[in-house]
Amino acid sequence: MSLPLEELLKLEAEDILAHNERPKSDDLRNKQQIYYDDVEEGMELPKYIYNPTPTHLFRWSAAIENFHRIHYDLDFGLNHDKNPSILVHGSWKQSVVPQYLKDWILPRGWPWKAQFEHRAMLVPGDILIMWGRVTSKYEKGQMGFVELEIGMMTQDGIESMPGTATVVLPLRGGPDIPYPFVPPAD
Amino acid sequence: MTQETQSALTPEVRAMIGVSGDVVEAWGEVDGEYLRRFTQAVMDPDPRYWDKDFAESTHYGEIITPPIMVSYLASRIRPDQDDPVTRAFEENPESDGIGSIERPGELPPVPTNLMRILNAGNELEVYKYPSIGDKVFFQNRYSDIRERVGRDGRAFLIITRETTYTNQKDELLCITRASTIRR
Repeated sequence: MSLPLEELLKLEAEDILAHNERPKSDDLRNKQQIYYDDVEEGMELPKYIYNPTPTHLFRWSAAIENFHRIHYDLDFGLNHDKNPSILVHGSWKQSVVPQYLKDWILPRGWPWKAQFEHRAMLVPGDILIMWGRVTSKYEKGQMGFVELEIGMMTQDGIESMPGTATVVLPLRGGPDIPYPFVPPAD
Repeated sequence: MTQETQSALTPEVRAMIGVSGDVVEAWGEVDGEYLRRFTQAVMDPDPRYWDKDFAESTHYGEIITPPIMVSYLASRIRPDQDDPVTRAFEENPESDGIGSIERPGELPPVPTNLMRILNAGNELEVYKYPSIGDKVFFQNRYSDIRERVGRDGRAFLIITRETTYTNQKDELLCITRASTIRR
């Protein structure tokens, strides 16, 4: 059962991990559409929980060819930049955001916009909770626009990436969201 | 702002707002191997990225790729350029591995003596998932430069660099905005 963020943060770290709602391949293959009509203010999105290791960080550095030593060279991080450890990449967090929004709006919605800040240094061993909550919604051009508050919180309740997002959902019985996405005229 | 505070938003800095770089064609194309490594590293197992038959049956009609993957793909170091990693360490054995590495399409620096750089945040706008085989074009622009005053009374700058990504059909893929604080 999906726990509200507030309840999740009351758990011990290892118990938080047990509430990970990151989907598997088949979950995404068989994802049922959430319609605009079904969304209510205050609704929480599934929580994606990560427990990054140095190997995860190295894999990300290699995948995107990011050579910044603070992400893989512990000696450099500790002694040159005086960081507490090697650091989780802002670029990785940034890339989780559209994934998270995509997964929620599949199969026919659109993850249109997001904006967020980077706060706090995240290090291997941290438990990171990607979360989202509906703040408002409106219809326009036969499409359903949903405004979200999003973030990536540590197990200690420190918000490392406060932000907002706008996704587009089909109306029940309404037309498909155009692809490529074209926002309605103001 | 107090009268004693020296403005960081000088006419020279203000003149950088709207300055654009060239439209740059990224090296290579959107390819399945980059996609595999990227999606595994971000831990997204969506079959729309790798199951061709399934992907063709979806709303998108083809294999898709994560929307902002192109922002990393576009900054790949070309194989026909000098090795910038080796050069960075030749110039500075204590290089942080990123500071001296030139990337294509960079904007001219903002003329300020505020040297400390902090990440202030990001914005993403997504319009189309890049397709396998797409050529990617991008253009940087200083979309905004604002001045703020810190608690210490000193002015600092928030510089926003906007990057627009398109494909070979001139279709808009995504727009990213990265804001940095210069103190």
